[in-house]
Amino acid sequence: MLKILIPTLMLIPTTWLTSAKWLWPTTLAHSLLIALASLSWLKNLSETGWTSLNLYMATDPLSTPLLVLTCWLLPLMILASQNHTTTEPINRQRMYITLLTSLQIFLILAFGATEMIMFYVMFEATLIPTLFLITRWGNQAERLNAGTYFLFYTLAGSLPLLVALLLLQNSTGTLSLLTLQFSGPTILTSFADKLWWAGCLLAFLVKMPLYGVHLWLPKAHVEAPIAGSMVLAAVLLKLGGYGMMRILPMLEPLTKELSYPFIIFALWGVIMTGSICLRQTDLKSLIAYSSVGHMGLVVGGILIQTPWGLTGALILMIAHGLTSSALFCLANTNYERTHSRTMALARGLQMALPLMTTWWFIASLANLALPPLPNLMAELMIITSLFNWSWWTLALTGTGTLITAGYSLYMFLMTQRGPLPTHIIALEPSHSREHLLVALHLLPLILLILKPELIWGWTA
Amino acid sequence: MTPTHFAFSAAFILGLAGLAFHRTHLLSALLCLEGMMLSLFIALSLWTLQLDSTNLSASPMLLLAFSACEASTGLALLVATTRTHGTDRLQSLNLLQC
Amino acid sequence: MNPIVSCTLLITLGLGTTITFASSHWFLAWMGLEINTLAILPLMAQHHHPRATEATLKYFLTQATAASTLLFATTTNAWLNGQWDIQHMTHPLPITLFTIALALKIGLAPLHIWLPEVLQGLDLVTGLIMSTWQKLAPFALLLQIYPANSTLLIMLGLASTLIGGWGGLNQTQLRKILAYSSIAHLGWMILVLQFSPALTLLTLFLYIIMTFSTFLVFHLNNATNINTLATTWTKTPALTALTPLLLLSLGGLPPLSGFMPKWLILQELTKQDLALTATLAALTALLSLYFYLRLSYALALTMFPNNPSGTSPWRLQSPQIMYPLALSITAALTLLPLTPTVTALMMP
Repeated sequence: MLKILIPTLMLIPTTWLTSAKWLWPTTLAHSLLIALASLSWLKNLSETGWTSLNLYMATDPLSTPLLVLTCWLLPLMILASQNHTTTEPINRQRMYITLLTSLQIFLILAFGATEMIMFYVMFEATLIPTLFLITRWGNQAERLNAGTYFLFYTLAGSLPLLVALLLLQNSTGTLSLLTLQFSGPTILTSFADKLWWAGCLLAFLVKMPLYGVHLWLPKAHVEAPIAGSMVLAAVLLKLGGYGMMRILPMLEPLTKELSYPFIIFALWGVIMTGSICLRQTDLKSLIAYSSVGHMGLVVGGILIQTPWGLTGALILMIAHGLTSSALFCLANTNYERTHSRTMALARGLQMALPLMTTWWFIASLANLALPPLPNLMAELMIITSLFNWSWWTLALTGTGTLITAGYSLYMFLMTQRGPLPTHIIALEPSHSREHLLVALHLLPLILLILKPELIWGWTA
Repeated sequence: MTPTHFAFSAAFILGLAGLAFHRTHLLSALLCLEGMMLSLFIALSLWTLQLDSTNLSASPMLLLAFSACEASTGLALLVATTRTHGTDRLQSLNLLQC
Repeated sequence: MNPIVSCTLLITLGLGTTITFASSHWFLAWMGLEINTLAILPLMAQHHHPRATEATLKYFLTQATAASTLLFATTTNAWLNGQWDIQHMTHPLPITLFTIALALKIGLAPLHIWLPEVLQGLDLVTGLIMSTWQKLAPFALLLQIYPANSTLLIMLGLASTLIGGWGGLNQTQLRKILAYSSIAHLGWMILVLQFSPALTLLTLFLYIIMTFSTFLVFHLNNATNINTLATTWTKTPALTALTPLLLLSLGGLPPLSGFMPKWLILQELTKQDLALTATLAALTALLSLYFYLRLSYALALTMFPNNPSGTSPWRLQSPQIMYPLALSITAALTLLPLTPTVTALMMP
């Protein structure tokens, strides 16, 4: 654990001590090395599931993929932010990288924690860097509103979680994840216990976000700078799914009856957000709503609690993390050239940036879950386990998949095909930095086709 | 509750009620405060008398000294307020509400 | 003001609080409180200005009422069971009276109206004394007797956290915002008072550290309303980057030290089967967080346009002493990892 954490901590002095000329290359190389080192977590030798154990932190097959994803994303964020921060003074660029690094530190601590309270503290701690990322480095004036929404939705959900966790600690005496799943079943009968159940899950459902409490997400995504959007879509939303998977074993007897409305909301959300995407004009907002839809499937998969459902949810979280982050990067390449997120203003880009179109194509196909990609595997597993639970869910999930395909194609056709409008003929050509950035998103996704058990979680 | 106890409690509560509800003039507020302090003075001195305790026999004097200090501070503030606000009506003390 | 006079006043201010700390006798404790009040009044009124006079007058009236009610409570206690010791207050009637008197003295929720107005009329240094040092003596008394009147204290606490959050929402004046923040924090302290007095003390210390840093930051920038805050980024850039963290620490966001008291208090409340109270208190903290967030927005998260001459002050050496601020702001941000040590020290 420390072999990743200490280099990540040392990234901050690196940022402040390197000369201005070498700032971005050095931090990029440093963070890529960290990401490479983090790959060693994927080799899990232990029989109990927990490895890299120390006093406070450990990894197991559930947290490993998310940890590796976190480490993988930092170099990508640094790569993506290079262009739009060049006009800032050098100290502000350093501050920006420091913020991204601190976010990474908190995320590693959150995913690696073996204590629920430690997880909670770090879960909350990620709020501050993200808030600053959105409100300080966003572009429009609405970013303040977005930051407020982001902070208050998350906190209103997670403060009851703190009380619920403390109650749990009083009844079981410990909140260690290593032993908690072996504690005997708690007797939960009264109405207060049902409230407690809701308190335990609400924070994660807001963070996911569940349809109905998702309003903060599109705002935050749209207003955040590119690195903020990437880390929000790729990792921060996954905190919610991860937390749910961790806490659900404790809530056992109640989940069966109480989870109905949440599953219904999640699946209904898949359709609703898909329909919103179909009539969306704002590119980043479209990708954000598509995230809500995919996360709805994840919530459904987690809440029915079958091995296939959980595995599918984990795979979808990883695959969606890479896909949506890649889509945000692509949207940002458009934004940096046209300074507008409106799709109607940047059409027919295939004529101007042909290689970018390839990336758009692959990313859109990944978003609509094309066969060999892990996205499809995940969706199939979730849909199958939901179907096994109740036949009627197929009506929702099937329609949802159809709509997902529809809006992914709509996004691709709208931005890439057709005649190039005359006002953007003089586009800047694409940089090899941008190609590298998208390739680094999509290569892992494609390589995961060959060895999906890396992200299978417990059932591997 | 002895009659003495009742008497000074009633005096104190009357003073407090006057301070709380009769809010026209600063001077009347100060008078109410002074009334509260005097009822406490009575209470203290009667307590020492009743218990024949010499330990606390000086305490009513101390109380009186402090309440005199307080009253003089109040009067000083009355003067200051009259000079800055031009009146001693409590309604005019509304500069800080915004 | 003449330095000798102000020095005398400050020493007397300290003397009053010390007398209250040291006394075991109610009468002496009351005298300490009175000395304390009488010493701060000239400090408050030192600028001959209608606002200062008005604030002084309001402070005087409330403090005198509170002190005499306190003395009334103790006299009643003496009449009821013949005891003047602070530790020997057992009858419920004097205890309730005493709690209400001290609630008025420190400004707890239903009796809080004077606090924002008084703080608004003071300059920032006196305001700092008012919202930190002046809380110590009443808390020394509150911690010595254990008010067992559970519902009253919880009601006071919840009302304070709620009103402290609610009242600050619509304010643009920093001192009023800080006054409401003070009310909310006092509410948290009162909530846990009857279960764990040591925790109340810990919360008070952390609150004092955080408020001290906040007042010093505002004093450094000469800021008394939100608009002034917006141009502070030209003065001390590093401080401007830290102040939003400080404000969020006041709001109680992890991983800053402001989270520590909230966490421990919630833990204590859940241990006492008061989960609903705990949840309510936690949710009212969101209201306070909103205005801290607004301050952070104005202070550092948006960059206000400024003319070139306005952006130069950061090049000049500031004449003010920075070490206390540096120390307290570090403590106000990074104490959370020390929670086990601190709890072990405070609650053996």
